[in-house]
Amino acid sequence: MPVLVLDAGNALFKSRDSGEAPDAKARAELLLSQMDAQGTAAMAVGERDLVLGVDFLKKGTKKAKMKLLSANLVDGEGKPYFPASLVTDVGGVKVGVVGVSPATEAPRPAGPPVKGKPQPMMRGLPVQPAVAAEARRLREQDKVDVVVVLAAVPYDEALRVAAQAENVDFVVQSHEGRGVGIAQRQAFATVVPPGDRGRQLARLELTLDGPGRFVDISERERTRQNLGIVEANLAKAREKLASATDDASKQSYTQAVSSLEARQAALKKVLEGGATSSGRTHLLSYTQLGAEVPGDPAVQKLVERIEPPGSAAH
Amino acid sequence: MNLRPTRLAALALLLLLPLVAGAAPKQLVLLFTGDNGGEIAPCG
Repeated sequence: MPVLVLDAGNALFKSRDSGEAPDAKARAELLLSQMDAQGTAAMAVGERDLVLGVDFLKKGTKKAKMKLLSANLVDGEGKPYFPASLVTDVGGVKVGVVGVSPATEAPRPAGPPVKGKPQPMMRGLPVQPAVAAEARRLREQDKVDVVVVLAAVPYDEALRVAAQAENVDFVVQSHEGRGVGIAQRQAFATVVPPGDRGRQLARLELTLDGPGRFVDISERERTRQNLGIVEANLAKAREKLASATDDASKQSYTQAVSSLEARQAALKKVLEGGATSSGRTHLLSYTQLGAEVPGDPAVQKLVERIEPPGSAAH
Repeated sequence: MNLRPTRLAALALLLLLPLVAGAAPKQLVLLFTGDNGGEIAPCG
């Protein structure tokens, strides 16, 4: 099956103030080069990627195929530092990928000061309008089939994007290191947790058979299982009602049957709606990158130069 | 040659089959990472 590899951001540094650590720069450089070597097509620029400044990121990816994306990170004059999006064909499906960074209340230095040169500044514009405009452009001009937002923004902000940006299908959020989770459907888009600290790989399998919103296969499966339980309970309740002799029992079982029938009808409606309203489905799963997943010896050597086996960081 | 309507229908069906086959659903996989936080040697 055709594959597209993406990173939701906040990949390079442990925290906003970890740039002074002696190995911080070497780690970030190794991560950028390996993400590129492993075929990552795009990464959003998050707060923890900007620790050594915008120029460090630009220089570190100058020869890379991997694109750094941010629809709202601008310089002191309001010009974007990075492209807002990427469009790529994945097995005949045109995928638009938007990157977005946290909004800032005021301009900040865009890197460490350089003697004799004016301090470059950066500012994160409001997230929601930036994403909405770029997603609309991707749909209308580039005619993409799917829009994925790499949202290196706080979780609440990512939820708002998914609730308000009508042209977006998926919002992959990074910022707080929330780890793994379930796909959360909001009014328009589904929020997907990408995992954290290199411990997991999130896999989102998409099937497209016509237009429409994506439906979570696992949600349908849970609904189907719930329907099975309700129907089994309904059959038992009907049996008990048929064999009840006193009025109190009859009344009690009648109420139970009525309640279960209502639940059965509601679940059937959900399943029928899911089957007819959309030919698009998604299924989220995670691969744990534990000891059972073998490492690449060449990469291991590069890692051990920075983080020798048995070191405190390991 | 005088083809009967049933034969014509069967012929039409055969001609349409490739179009139906071409309309198979498209599938792809998106792999995501995120919030790596400078980690280069994850311990699982």
